[in-house]
Amino acid sequence: MDRNQLMKWLKAPAKMSNKYSLHAVYFCTGCGIIEVPPSITARWDAERFGVVPAATPRHANLFLITGYVSLKTLRAIIRTYEQMPEPKYTVGFGSCPINGGMYWDSYNTIKHLDKYIPIDGWIAGCMPRPEAIFVAVTHLWTLIDKDMADGYKRYRRNYRAYRANQEQVLGALDWPPLFAAAKEPLLEEARA
Amino acid sequence: MRIAGFIVSPLLALVIGIFFLGLAKKIMARIHWRYGPPITQPIIDVIRFFSQRSVSHGPLFDLGVVLSLAGSLVVLLFIPLGGIHPLSGSGGLLVILYLMLLAPLGIALSAAEGANPNISIGISRTFLLMMGYEVPLLLVLLAVMTEYQTISIVRIVEAQREAGIALFSIPTVLSGVAYILILPAILGVRPFDVAQAAQEISSGPMVEYGGPYLALATIQHALNLVIGISLFVDLFLGGAGNPLTFFLKMLAVFVLGLFVNAVMPRFRIEQAVRYLWGWPTLLALIGLIVVMVI
Repeated sequence: MDRNQLMKWLKAPAKMSNKYSLHAVYFCTGCGIIEVPPSITARWDAERFGVVPAATPRHANLFLITGYVSLKTLRAIIRTYEQMPEPKYTVGFGSCPINGGMYWDSYNTIKHLDKYIPIDGWIAGCMPRPEAIFVAVTHLWTLIDKDMADGYKRYRRNYRAYRANQEQVLGALDWPPLFAAAKEPLLEEARA
Repeated sequence: MRIAGFIVSPLLALVIGIFFLGLAKKIMARIHWRYGPPITQPIIDVIRFFSQRSVSHGPLFDLGVVLSLAGSLVVLLFIPLGGIHPLSGSGGLLVILYLMLLAPLGIALSAAEGANPNISIGISRTFLLMMGYEVPLLLVLLAVMTEYQTISIVRIVEAQREAGIALFSIPTVLSGVAYILILPAILGVRPFDVAQAAQEISSGPMVEYGGPYLALATIQHALNLVIGISLFVDLFLGGAGNPLTFFLKMLAVFVLGLFVNAVMPRFRIEQAVRYLWGWPTLLALIGLIVVMVI
């Protein structure tokens, strides 16, 4: 932990502050809400790492999605993710967001969350223990240090593909595209 | 010297306020038997907020939060912070009473642009709470002004140096106790954090703030802590001749307040107003009568 190294702070204040001030939105609509309270209260105290639960996505830069993602919650997940200010980091918690887990053949849950929003890291297990959140946070620090936690950049770059995937499962989305890049196909259509 | 005061006073308040925010997190954590964040955590947070970009909901959304911060900074110029008082010769307590309205008004103007239902609830709660604590606060200030026959805080501090600290002298003790009882409401901390309740209305007026807006709002909150506590130290604990003694007195008040803060749950808004118009108002009223009679 290099939180107290002044030279690093002077060199890259934005990166360092993003590392050590991770305000988290816990998206616990599936399972996993049992694992989160012990990690943020007296037993495992996430606040000593600077991880604090945020009440609104506008304050947050860490998005923790626990448990299976149904089609209905996917809509809310995308909207929450798009409301967070950049840079933002996403972590999938448990095996269901990774590959569907025990809901692999369900008609109403999605199997690969990273097809719809970019994910910076996974915590595997069903369910992982609360300590796994801290392992994930320390891994995330390393990724931020090496500029490898670039999910928000990938989202910006490949927004058309992500939006197409979202529309494929959700039908027509009732909110406008986040980035102007989605206008380009219209121009191409006009040329053709 | 006076010009230097214009720069030193807000800077000093900023440093003390941010330190208090960090200390509050640490002490709360120790009371919960946790290790807690480093004491520099609010600085880290503010750097992060400034490094991010946020959506804006219109010009008033940008200007209101600046107005609120400016309001707090101007109030600080009128409050003596241990011998540093660039503007307290002119106006005194009456000006402070008016200017203290600017900070919540700015937040209300700014946040209302966001058109989020949580914001409207938060703002209405802010003003209801203000209505609750302004009545006892006015009575308390009236008692102090009557006792020392002046509206200037500098004179009040000087008078206390001769006659003894106001909190421990007979005519003003009731007003001092009343101020202690409403202090958490003035600071907007638990049990009176109804306006920015994170768990029920998603931080109330703060819900649409991200990035620099949130940084300015955090700094404003820190300054607000300093305003409420330094007013108490000046009026009832005899102020101080130098900033260090003043800071130690503020620290004592703040830490005592934190112990209440850590063990109390949050009031509902109607419970808060009922409390504020109950015992604190009664004590302040009796205090005023005692001051006028003796």
